[in-house]
Amino acid sequence: MEDNEILQVWKNYDRKLEENLLLSRQNATAITALKVQSFLASMKPLKIFTIVAGVLWVGLLDVLIVSLFHIASPFFLVSAILLTILNKLAIGIYLYQLILLHQADITEPVLATQEKIARLKSSTLWVARLLFLQLPLWTTFYWNKSMLENGSMSLFITQALVTGVFIFIAVWLFINISYRNRNKKWFGFIFNGKEWSPLMKSMEVLSQLEEYKK
Amino acid sequence: MQLKKDAQVFLSVMESNKGIIYKVANAYCKNDENRKDLIQEILVQLWLSFGKYDKQYSISTWMYRIALNVAISFYRKENSRNKINQPLPVDTLFLREEGNGFQKEADLQHLQQFIKELKEIDRAIIILYLEEKPQQEIATILGLSTTNIATRVLRIKQQLKQKFSTIKN
Repeated sequence: MEDNEILQVWKNYDRKLEENLLLSRQNATAITALKVQSFLASMKPLKIFTIVAGVLWVGLLDVLIVSLFHIASPFFLVSAILLTILNKLAIGIYLYQLILLHQADITEPVLATQEKIARLKSSTLWVARLLFLQLPLWTTFYWNKSMLENGSMSLFITQALVTGVFIFIAVWLFINISYRNRNKKWFGFIFNGKEWSPLMKSMEVLSQLEEYKK
Repeated sequence: MQLKKDAQVFLSVMESNKGIIYKVANAYCKNDENRKDLIQEILVQLWLSFGKYDKQYSISTWMYRIALNVAISFYRKENSRNKINQPLPVDTLFLREEGNGFQKEADLQHLQQFIKELKEIDRAIIILYLEEKPQQEIATILGLSTTNIATRVLRIKQQLKQKFSTIKN
């Protein structure tokens, strides 16, 4: 089919739409009366809630670290400090998402807006990576001097194995959770479910946008 | 310069340009139910942005930007409208005698199918090309250079021709 034939098919479609397409003024008027947010603004409350919850959690951890600094075991302190650093980084990502939400404007050119929205969604993968990175810290914070002095060899071996496995998993996931691995089985297992499909789709759009920049 | 956010003015603008909304929604949705939802979402976003309409752009440029941005982002709808407890009225924009009176020719059905198989941004480019928008306006809507648009249009047209030739053979 030639160019002009394709254009003609579209023109016929346009003409038919012109004859058959109806706008219900009643329903359209109802839309103008709705008290709704733009779809970008509607994403803000959840981000703000997460930031507030995150700040409270990190604040609690910081208070614990400061108040127990002289009496707590070094294991607890190091675990809690690392935990709070990782959580602060995650909060930073949510702040970055809020800034992107603030900057994104659907009346702006499509590519620029889509890039902001896609970056916003895909940065959620960074949150997942950071959360997995916390895993080993939950296997070390409860250790203390007495356990070290009185613990049996089997306890040490079990602990070392558990912590070692968690470190391996956390670091491996941190390195490998990325769009390039989206088709791997393990990736599908972790990011299975409807809530992750927008994320995957936004990463796909992002890779398309990269192509357009070439 | 901006438009006064007047519902009657908005309705007249939508009435005159309703084809834009329908064609974009149709190109980005696989089924009728999704299309109805997307049409409502586009209308809501157009209304929300209406007061900020910048007259340095034509109405169609402004509408295409919003319609395409909403359509491409529509896969994230669970993050938006579902969280708002106000249901939207359905069937604001519809075809007279849908399914019966609006018989599609085979070529149009194929063309629409081929467009739906394109990547999201390519889909936007070809819709604007088929609407016979000047390359400068396509570039303004999408935020790409005219050279880039020209190259892309050429490639997409080749893809479409190839697909048509496959079904004709």
